[in-house]
Amino acid sequence: MKNYDVIVIGAGNGGLAAAANCAKAGLSTLLLERHNIPGGSASSFVRGRFEFEPSLHELAGIGDEKEAGTIEEVFNRINAEVDWCRHDSTFRLVVPAKEGDEDAFVNENGVLVTVDARMPVGFEEFSRKLDEIVPGSYESCRKAFDLSINMFKAFDCMEDPSKIPGSLKDVPDIMRMVSHTMTEALDALGMPKKAQDIFNTYWCYMGSPASQFDFLYYLCVLHSYVRSGTGIPKLRSHEMSLAIDKKIRDFGGDVWYNSEVTKFIMKDGKPVGVVINGEKEVYGKYFICNCYPYKVFTELMDKKDVPEMQLKMLNARKTACTLTTVYLGMNKTKEELGIKDYSVFIAPDSDSDKQYEAAQNYFSGYCIINCLNEIIPDCTPEGTSQLFLTTMTFGDVMKDIRPQDYKKFKTKVARDMIETCEKALNISITPYIEEIEIALPPTFARYLNTPLGTPYGYMLEKWDSMLPRTIQYLKDQPFPNFYFCGATQERGDGYGCAYYTGEKAAGLVIKKVKEGK
Amino acid sequence: MANLKKLKGLKFIKMLPDRQARFESAKAEVPSFSDNATALARALHPKCQHLKIAQVIERGEDCKSFVLVPDAEKGTTQLAYFGAGKYLTVFEEIEGMPVTRAYSISSSPKDSLEGRYVLTIKLVEGGLVSRFIFDNWTVGRAVKASAPAGNFEYQELRDAKKVICIAGGSGITPFLSMANAIADGDEDFSMTLLYGSRNYENILFRDELAELEKKCDKIKVIHVLSAEDKEIEGTEKGFITAELIKKYAPENEEYSVFLCGPQQMYEFVDKELEKLNLPKKFIRHEMFGEFHNPASQEDYPQGVPEKVKITVKCQDETFTVEGSTGDSVVQILEKGKIAVPTRCRSGECGFCHSHLLSGKIYVPEKLEFRRLADYKFDCFHPCSSFPLTDLEIEIPAAK
Repeated sequence: MKNYDVIVIGAGNGGLAAAANCAKAGLSTLLLERHNIPGGSASSFVRGRFEFEPSLHELAGIGDEKEAGTIEEVFNRINAEVDWCRHDSTFRLVVPAKEGDEDAFVNENGVLVTVDARMPVGFEEFSRKLDEIVPGSYESCRKAFDLSINMFKAFDCMEDPSKIPGSLKDVPDIMRMVSHTMTEALDALGMPKKAQDIFNTYWCYMGSPASQFDFLYYLCVLHSYVRSGTGIPKLRSHEMSLAIDKKIRDFGGDVWYNSEVTKFIMKDGKPVGVVINGEKEVYGKYFICNCYPYKVFTELMDKKDVPEMQLKMLNARKTACTLTTVYLGMNKTKEELGIKDYSVFIAPDSDSDKQYEAAQNYFSGYCIINCLNEIIPDCTPEGTSQLFLTTMTFGDVMKDIRPQDYKKFKTKVARDMIETCEKALNISITPYIEEIEIALPPTFARYLNTPLGTPYGYMLEKWDSMLPRTIQYLKDQPFPNFYFCGATQERGDGYGCAYYTGEKAAGLVIKKVKEGK
Repeated sequence: MANLKKLKGLKFIKMLPDRQARFESAKAEVPSFSDNATALARALHPKCQHLKIAQVIERGEDCKSFVLVPDAEKGTTQLAYFGAGKYLTVFEEIEGMPVTRAYSISSSPKDSLEGRYVLTIKLVEGGLVSRFIFDNWTVGRAVKASAPAGNFEYQELRDAKKVICIAGGSGITPFLSMANAIADGDEDFSMTLLYGSRNYENILFRDELAELEKKCDKIKVIHVLSAEDKEIEGTEKGFITAELIKKYAPENEEYSVFLCGPQQMYEFVDKELEKLNLPKKFIRHEMFGEFHNPASQEDYPQGVPEKVKITVKCQDETFTVEGSTGDSVVQILEKGKIAVPTRCRSGECGFCHSHLLSGKIYVPEKLEFRRLADYKFDCFHPCSSFPLTDLEIEIPAAK
């Protein structure tokens, strides 16, 4: 039986990046995936004459014509071919007014709102726009972006903890940012509350509200969106995943689909192989695991083989948020529908902590509406368009739903989300739906096989934030020949984060194989 | 002045020990985490269902209904609930050939809660699998099936309140399930069923449909008989034409049209529907049965050889099989005793998604459900693809 240098478990974004880099470095590489296609969340599906994007909102790391962004570089490093479509706006936040709101006004859609912020690309432009909406916020916003420019130095420190004390002199505010939350830091910078709420709009991409999430990481995320805009692949995320699949094969790696790891084969306290689909055994020297620790330590290993600390970690951490997405193929164009933005965040309350509280129950009124045709005009046939609506929830919000209630419940949630968007934008959606697919947490649980169906890993809480996760990465791994990658690791969810962890795990394995360890 | 320096600079020093302490103080037990999102996913989409035949109902010479119940001894204690219109894929082995077939569930969703699915299967002339089923599926026999699957369902946010359902032959099965679901209160729409049969005597489920019509005023059934000599009250003679659809469609009101039947029915009715100029959103097809005779299609290329060789890579094994260009790639592989993971067998579900390493294929337009990036990276669905040359392909494992 072949003994691979490295077996990668799971062809999600992390696993794909890991396998491609290992194969490129000449390691004999096997990538195993339980589904019939690669990508995990990064995929696509077809309904009628529409091909939908299942998970990607936008990639902050695509860069512009002059300079490749961080995600583009991931693909460039392995010569994977993706056609990128660029987009030069960030987000629009709309907060419909409630009765008695004194600061309510009628916006361009004719809707009574308290916030309507369409934020531009560019640090200066963003800061000026914020000041226009909330006078007196320019200085704090500009200061925040100035800080963000230094932060990449901080990331170097985190990768190499030995640099930390010495480099503090160069980046004096970095450690303050990383150990304080968004709320604490923006308060210290003197940003008015209403401006903070707009500034914090992307909190849902991280799944932790402003009182929990560390300022440095948020700043890093916002920075990359505001710096040069965003991008998405021309042919949905399936293009990105197949592009990497192809490179793995080109580099001599093996990719096996419908090949689910059902058990780890252990010897002398560490994994030496895997059982696939309950029957076939394959052996390897190193393992990079894109599937969740929960699955590995509760299903794929016997308790006696699981390091005690891993069980403690499972019990200590909180599963991140879950998503509900409604995919709509429309028989009208975006112009006919009256949609002018790629991404509108509709929130019943602008405060992220209040949004987080409300999301402990099913549909809170928080909804992001995206129109793919805004970036890729011809992504649907002439005269049509596609929308996707997303909301998030925390905890087991499905707990009272029985299988026979599920279809009606799904439709109810979708109706609520569609009506929320119709009201907030004063547009009509329902009569023009040609195709609809509704994905609730059970849908994600089915495809991603994660607790609660989360695509986000563990919640980035105050105590389990990016910095300690990054510094402790090696210590957190269960075996000397085993590395996790993906959303459960240091940077949480997001395509870029997953690719990063995959590349990093590959780097560690390549080094050890080359050193002959 | 507002400044970050207001915040404590050395707070970060405590971050690592704090986190470590959190971990240390947690329980070292295997967590007994069970959430309902996962439970629902497993209940609705089990990896496979082990069933047993409880009853066989003869329906004329060439049709049988099979009542399937869970096979607890093999590990299935509960049937997966489903939305009316879905199908089951059944797995069989015929003389060493692993085959699959998709059959719409003809019983109601409610029946599944009581541990009962019904599949109604028509004997296909020269059909290998239906012949096998007719000869071998007897009471007590074990049947392995997939979870319910498919997208042929009523969706109130998309479809009109009134639906004209057009069925041909055994294409009645999903509509029978839908009609029962309406009568049970599990679906809420008005169904006008135009059901095409040859003659009055061989109408499938005639009594059941009459009963449903009597029981529920949202259901109306019109039999359209293509080869009936006698005049029979309440039936129509001939084929399902635009004229006939118009006759039974609501006036000045939106309606959806759902179709399920054999390939020939679609070829006829689709042309008729064009005359009605309905918006695309109001016409929905169920893929039904295997696609045959690709060479009859207008865009099928010239000069295709009769026989081809297919080299198949699957995990670490490689096989070579020979087959006829009139068969789909899946059919050729199955005849060569290679198991392929398939579900819908009409290109739609994407379950057999594979890599085309070399060679050329033909995909009939109606079975074209590939994703855009599949074209860019030479991926295809073997169940809906017909070889035009020798092929080299890589398929996913049939687990």
